[in-house]
Order: sequence, then structure tokens, then C-alpha cells
Amino acid sequence: MNTETSTFPLSLDDLHVSFGGNRVLEGVDINFVPGFNGLIGPNGAGKTTIFNVLSGYVKASRGAAFLEGKDLSELKPTDRVSSGISRTFQSPKLILDATVMENVLLGMHHRFKHGHVTELFRLPNHRSEEDRAREICMDMLEEFGLAEDAHKETGDLSLGSQKIVEVCRALVAEPKVLLLDEPAAGLGADDVTVLLKGLRKFVDEQNLCLVIIEHDLELVTSICPIIYVLHFGRIISEGSAEVITSDPTVIEAYLGKGYAPESNDGEGGSDAV
Amino acid sequence: MSQVKTNSSGYPLYPPKPAGIKGQQKLLTAILTFGFLAFLPWIPIFGWLTIFDTGTNYGLGNLAFVFAYAAAGIGFNFLIGYSGTLGLAHAGLFAIGAYGSAILSAPPECLEPTCETIIRPAVSGYGWPFLLTIPIVCFFAAIVGVVVGFPAARLKGFYLAIATLALGELIVKLISLDEKLWSGLKTNGGTGKQVQIFEFFGSGQLKSAYFLSLVCLLITFVGYVIYTENRLGRTLKSVRDIEIATGPLGISSTYYKLIAFGLSGFAAALAGVAWAQNSAFVNPSSFKTRLLVFLLVVLILGGLGKLWGPLIGAVIFVYLRQEFQDSQKLLFFLIGTALMIAILILPKGVASLPDRFADSRWVQDLRRRFKAMKV
Repeated sequence: MNTETSTFPLSLDDLHVSFGGNRVLEGVDINFVPGFNGLIGPNGAGKTTIFNVLSGYVKASRGAAFLEGKDLSELKPTDRVSSGISRTFQSPKLILDATVMENVLLGMHHRFKHGHVTELFRLPNHRSEEDRAREICMDMLEEFGLAEDAHKETGDLSLGSQKIVEVCRALVAEPKVLLLDEPAAGLGADDVTVLLKGLRKFVDEQNLCLVIIEHDLELVTSICPIIYVLHFGRIISEGSAEVITSDPTVIEAYLGKGYAPESNDGEGGSDAV
Repeated sequence: MSQVKTNSSGYPLYPPKPAGIKGQQKLLTAILTFGFLAFLPWIPIFGWLTIFDTGTNYGLGNLAFVFAYAAAGIGFNFLIGYSGTLGLAHAGLFAIGAYGSAILSAPPECLEPTCETIIRPAVSGYGWPFLLTIPIVCFFAAIVGVVVGFPAARLKGFYLAIATLALGELIVKLISLDEKLWSGLKTNGGTGKQVQIFEFFGSGQLKSAYFLSLVCLLITFVGYVIYTENRLGRTLKSVRDIEIATGPLGISSTYYKLIAFGLSGFAAALAGVAWAQNSAFVNPSSFKTRLLVFLLVVLILGGLGKLWGPLIGAVIFVYLRQEFQDSQKLLFFLIGTALMIAILILPKGVASLPDRFADSRWVQDLRRRFKAMKV
């Protein structure tokens, strides 16, 4: 298995999760590739649960997740970010009474080499490390158009900007895999454009593997070359935007039985069946 | 003036400061305040206020207590205000500082007639140099603080408060153990112990205790400022506000809570040393839960998470305590009332008063009119 999984930045192998008798994930197999990967599905399908397994909040009852072939369950949740996995949350988890810069700096926590004793005595190596970290964070904020707001209190920013701050915080950790949980929810059209432009740059330049949970189907279908549809803990469809939007099982999952076009009178559904 | 550090496109890396004196306002306030406090014994400008009249031994002692409580409050602030962890073993850690330095620095036992002075077991110790005992007891209390903090790995909120409260009480109980049970401890059981007072350059016992307390406060103050404005401060804030997200950020919340416990233990012991020097006598009953409540009052009245909060809180607290020392019931009534008013009207404590005032509609209006007049 390892020889196969190691070629992908992130792969899920027969992932099962259940809370008591409630089976949330029932055998999810996905090999995520570098670039934009979409993960969609109706409410309660188990999308965020997949992320929570990857960041260690939830233990898989069966199966495993591999980060470049390395079993994630062998890593402590706090060690995962240095192995190259980073994430954002559905509702931004930011310190509201700290500045934007300070919040983004938290993403670099694991990259600091000097301890807190050098910090107390304000030794020069601590100062230079802090300067360098701040420079990286400022460059990141500039990339996403938030450089002007760097020293504002985070609570004063709009929800959309806060979500982008969270993305910046996740990116300064230099991840190989970035999990974005509904990054565009609550964002204005301009913010979405800025966010996507910034993300695309990292995908193109650093071969970043992005996994995006998103409810906005139009957005997902326009940016993700490959989309996975999760329903009741199973992948019911995967493929390009055309494939999944015409898949009758997907339409049924979203809209209910009866809305799916019959195999002979559907516009594009016939080839998917 | 040092150059402003920017990234390659010229955005400043640190929050921009106003030029000149205004940018250094914080530093200047601290220097002026501490300088003023250092000269108070020679310029007793509070002569009209008996409680803080530094011309008298009484006022000098009261102010020294203010510094000790404020130092302990700053340590407490670090734990509760910054890491959001409700650890209540502070009185026990305070006692470690007070008893530790008193015992380690007291002269060794000497009952032979050949001794220069007879040292009975009740007042004996280990005869270590006093200044050396300060870092020793502080580091020891920091370690004890970390041990007390271990429940924080699993417990939160009230449960953690109860667990640490019990551990803190346990420390005080250990101290009040009978001499016969554990003679090496030399705590002299429940009767209390005389404290050898250290004198700086023959300036007298009270002035020495005053300066020692002031230095202890300064140390905790500077440590607090440095830590809260740098990486440790923001990391602790993340543990307080977004603990759920710390794992994926690579921040171990347990590790940082323990750091906060250790640092607050260090500050508590430092304050305890100063307190013992000033009161010249330590007794287990001084470190019971009542002290913990006093420290909480100092912290909340002054302002949780505010730099100057503990000092302001300590001034108010010591003033009330001295003013109403003849009637404990009235004192507790007043402290309770003050606490309630503070929580209702000023949830961020007295230290937030200037900000509240500056943000008030009345002042904003005045400012606008003033601006209009200028134009």
C-alpha cells in the first residue's frame, strides 16, 4: 500500500469513522493530487469529519490517511503541521484582540528555532528570527491584499477578510497539503478573486495540494479540475465538473429522487450512467 | 532613532509608533512610575494620606505590601488573563516563596554555650545568603507550579480551579505540619516563624524591605511586558481564545498552560519573599484561601489582562484593608461591593478607566469641538 500512497501528497485509504453507532464515514478512498481538489456534498455528509481526522481531532475507526506515504495516525496532532499539513476552519479561529500580523505569526510557530528564554533576554538571534518571520508573514498578507491591515486588530476586520487571514496563517506554515473548510463562505466577489489568485500562485509555484470543502458549486466547478462528492459517508461520484454535475446519483443526493434526468432524455446525463 | 523595519515592498513589520516622545509613552510611564516609587521614601508627598505616608514606617510598610501583592497579581494575570487557565494554587506558591527564603536564609541551629548567640530550632534555618535564596525558591516554586498545573492537561474551568485549589491548600498544610513529623522542613509548624530581614547598605530594615519589594515588582513587571508583547504572549493568547485550533498550528496547549503555571509560580514566590521580608513573620494562616481571594480581588478590581491592573488593584486593596482593619466584617463587605461594582460597571477593571473615559461620548464630543475651534 505504501508504495502506492507515497506518490500522492495525501491519500485516504478505506477511511471509516463512527461516533457511537452513528457511522459518519464508511470507507472513503481518495488519492488527492497536487492542485485544486474539490470536496462537496450535502450537509452532514462527513466532509469536515475527513478534515478532523486529518488534523487529529477524530480517530479513524478503520482505515488510514497517508501524507506522502506516511501514516498520519502515527503523528501527534501538534506534529502534523511540521510534516506539511495545514488547515482552516469553517468559522475562522482567530484571536480577535490580537493584530492580524500576530495571528498570521501563529502559523509560523513550529518554524521558530529559538526558545522562550532567548525571548525573555531579548537576545539578538531571537530578534532577527522574529524579524524574518514577520517579513514572511507580511509578504503573505501582501499577496492576499491585506498588508494595509496587518497591524489592525483582527476583530475589526470583516468576516471575509478574517477568513483570508486564516488562509494566510495556514500558508506561512509552508504546507504541502492545505485543507480549506468553506473558504469562500461569507466572502464578497472581490475577496474570492483575491483569494483564488493567491492560492493559484502557490499551486503553480510550489505544487501545493489544496483540498477545498465548498458549498458554492459554481465556484468549485470553476476552479477544481477534480471533484469528489461525499454523501452519507461514501464517495458517490468523482471526476471533472462536467462528470459530477451530470451524474444522476449526485443530482439525486442534492435534490432528491425524481429530479435526476432519465438516462435517455437528460441533457448530458446519459454518458455518466 | 532606529530605522523602521519593513518588508521588500515597504510595509512596516511592527506596528508603527508615533514619532518622538509619544511613541515611547509606555516606556516613559513605566520609568517615571518606578522612579517615583523609588524616591518616595525620601519625598513623602503622601503625607496627607496616613496609610501611604512614606515618611512613616507604617506607610512605607503598606506600600511594600502593595508591591508584593501587585507582583503576585502580575503572575496571576499571566496565568488567568493570558493563558485563560483558572489555576488557584497561587496562595500556596506564594507561601513557598515566603517560607522558603525565610528558612533557607535563617542562621543554622546552635544550642551549645560556645555559640555566639543561641539559635533555637524555632528560628533556625540553613544559613544560606539571602539573595541567593531568592532565585532558588522562585525556581522551586516554578517547578511546583508546573506540577500543580498538570491537571490542566485534562481539566478545564471550574474543575481545574477546584483541583489546583486543593493542591495549593495541600502546600499550606504541608508547611503547617508539626515539627516532629518533618523536622528537616524547619517550618516551625503552625506557630509561625521569625524572618531574618535583609538590609541593603545599612538603609534600615523597613527601607530594605521596601526596595526589595519594589525590585521584585519591577522584575515581574518587565518579564510580563517582554513576554506578553512577543511570541509567548500571542501563543498563550491562542491557547486562551482558540484552543481548538492550536493542534493544527503545532502549538501544544498543555505545554503552554504549564509554562504559564510555572511563570506564575515564579512570580508568586518572588512576591512571597518580598511579603515575608516586609512582615518579618510568617504563619501558615496567612496563606490560606483568604490570601487567594485577596489576590483575585487585586487582579479583578485592577483589571484582568491589563499591565497596570494588579498595581492599581493592590493600591485599592491595601488602602481598604488598612482603613478598615478594625472591622473585618466591614472590610469584607466593602471589598465584595467594590468587586461587584467593578464587574458590573468596569468589567476590565480600574485600569481600563482611562480608555473608557477617552472613548466616552462626552470626551469625543469635546475633542470634536476643540478640533473645530482650531480650524
